[in-house]
Amino acid sequence: MEPRKQTLRKALFTVAVFVRINTKRFFRDKTALFFTIIFPLIFLFVFGSLNSGGGDVSFNVAVINQSDSKFAQDFVKQSEDSKVLKVNKDITSLDEAKEKMSRSEIDAAIILPETFGDVKQDQTFPSGEAEIVYTQNNQASASALTSILDAQFKAVNGELVTTVTPFTVTGTQLNENSLSAFDYTFAGLLGFSLIGMGIFGPLNVFPELKKMGILRRLSTTPLRVWQYFLSTMIGQAAIGVISFAALFLVAIFVFHLEIVGNWFELILFLLLGMFTILGIGLALGGWAKNERQAAPLSNIIVFPMMFLSGTFFPRFLMPEWLQNVSAFLPLTPIIDGVRLIATEGKHFIDILPQIGLTGAWLVVIYIIAFRVFRWE
Amino acid sequence: MKNMVEVKDLKKRYGDKQAVNGISFSVKKGEIFGILGPNGAGKTTTLEMMETLREIDSGSVIIDGVDVKKDPQAIKYLIGVQPQSPAFQDKTRLTEVVEMFAAAYGEKVDAMEFLRDVGLEEKAKAYVENLSGGQKQRLSITTALVHGPKVFFLDEPTTGLDPQARRNLWELIEKVRDRGISVIMTTHYMDEAEILCDRIAVMDNGEIIALDTPRNLVKQLLARGFKKSQEVQQANLEDVFIDLTGKALREGA
Repeated sequence: MEPRKQTLRKALFTVAVFVRINTKRFFRDKTALFFTIIFPLIFLFVFGSLNSGGGDVSFNVAVINQSDSKFAQDFVKQSEDSKVLKVNKDITSLDEAKEKMSRSEIDAAIILPETFGDVKQDQTFPSGEAEIVYTQNNQASASALTSILDAQFKAVNGELVTTVTPFTVTGTQLNENSLSAFDYTFAGLLGFSLIGMGIFGPLNVFPELKKMGILRRLSTTPLRVWQYFLSTMIGQAAIGVISFAALFLVAIFVFHLEIVGNWFELILFLLLGMFTILGIGLALGGWAKNERQAAPLSNIIVFPMMFLSGTFFPRFLMPEWLQNVSAFLPLTPIIDGVRLIATEGKHFIDILPQIGLTGAWLVVIYIIAFRVFRWE
Repeated sequence: MKNMVEVKDLKKRYGDKQAVNGISFSVKKGEIFGILGPNGAGKTTTLEMMETLREIDSGSVIIDGVDVKKDPQAIKYLIGVQPQSPAFQDKTRLTEVVEMFAAAYGEKVDAMEFLRDVGLEEKAKAYVENLSGGQKQRLSITTALVHGPKVFFLDEPTTGLDPQARRNLWELIEKVRDRGISVIMTTHYMDEAEILCDRIAVMDNGEIIALDTPRNLVKQLLARGFKKSQEVQQANLEDVFIDLTGKALREGA
């Protein structure tokens, strides 16, 4: 064998041994296991439950019935059974309702006046006018509520008085590949767990290894920085695959996440993302001499990504200028790309901007990481 | 005999402090060479420059014909390094520690054989965090020898060890020397230097102020008319301690 080839083989043997033993070590460390595998799962359960129930819109209302009529009582009962309305039964007077509204505990109050549902003289059917009381802050909910009630009353009116309705409108729900809040949450959670593994992992470990002189001791051996980085990357990828598998299983079987994209592309893209984010951890941890240096720098880099890249809430909720800025954070294209592949069924060819941006970050981050690495 | 290590006019400056100020010495094959001196004398800096850990300002270190400054990567195959306080990542078995260090040199070794060399075969499957200070020192020594180095550096190897563990370590170091490996060590203990070292360099303020065998250094001092104020005792307190507690290595030491 050529000596050069043999050198490379030996170099890769080094990497393989480091990966094998460090991965074993990881599974012996209960704390590390908890933080990389269980911790993101807890987040998934918390955020998943918050978002379950998907697209259903509901309003918190008080129904104040001042009428004795049968129609009014039926209306109250129907409202309480309604999915759209969540009736707060404790409120019986307008004053109480106003107080709750001022604290945004309810969106609006529906008032049925005394004459509501009475059959007027010279008429054969009941009639009346319900009043919706709301505060300035709740105009949107109130107008939605008004139109919902309006539609309900129209249906009732139609039964009571037969009239011709020349123009009508019906809504048709499209269920095809529409994104639920959970789809955003899940992609964000993967991003969050990437930060946890990729950045906080090396960031917590490296300064400690430097303090104990372990990296210094390694630097007296022929071990190269790239071998050390590569073994960390492969080990992290193995752990990441397990952690992500757990997240995906729970998301699919508990929260009914539907993966419409190609699994192979998804896994490849996740690995690309993982290596990119891990590079940030390697750069920060490799540079920092001790925990005191590591902490402030990591906060400056991690927090903007945590909040602006779409981990905890979708970026489309941000003002446009902020969206434009946050689009270039390293985590943003990763989260977007994962969501585009997983829940929108896009292929690599469709998400070239995301792949390109992530790849560019990968190169930049690793150039920095190799430059700033210190063994002690 | 041919010199294994050749140090010429070695210098290192930190800010305005000349830590090492032009020292020269050589170490033969299979010799234990001690560097003594008070704290801040430049012992550790000298060692670190030879170990490729510190950049050399000027002068040269040649180990087995290889220039440390020109080819540090080649030097790493020739040297084994025992740090002042050896530490290992926890949750690692002793066999795994040996395997990893061997792998760092691209080598695959029988870990048990190396653990046996330092009397740790019974601890082979234990985690490193369960070792005592002396056991860690011994593990560290064997990891520094996995690749068959020609020069072995030890920085204050017996600091903090009990008398039994110290003596055990001395025996180990002598065994290493007997295999033809050159040993270069620093120490604060004069008894250690006297018993162990074939030759000694005494450093102060970044310079070597004396270099000879322990016996010759003592002779030279006596020749200058030195007299100890006190009668030399036939035994000292350590002899009493060893006589009372025995030479055998203690459990967990």
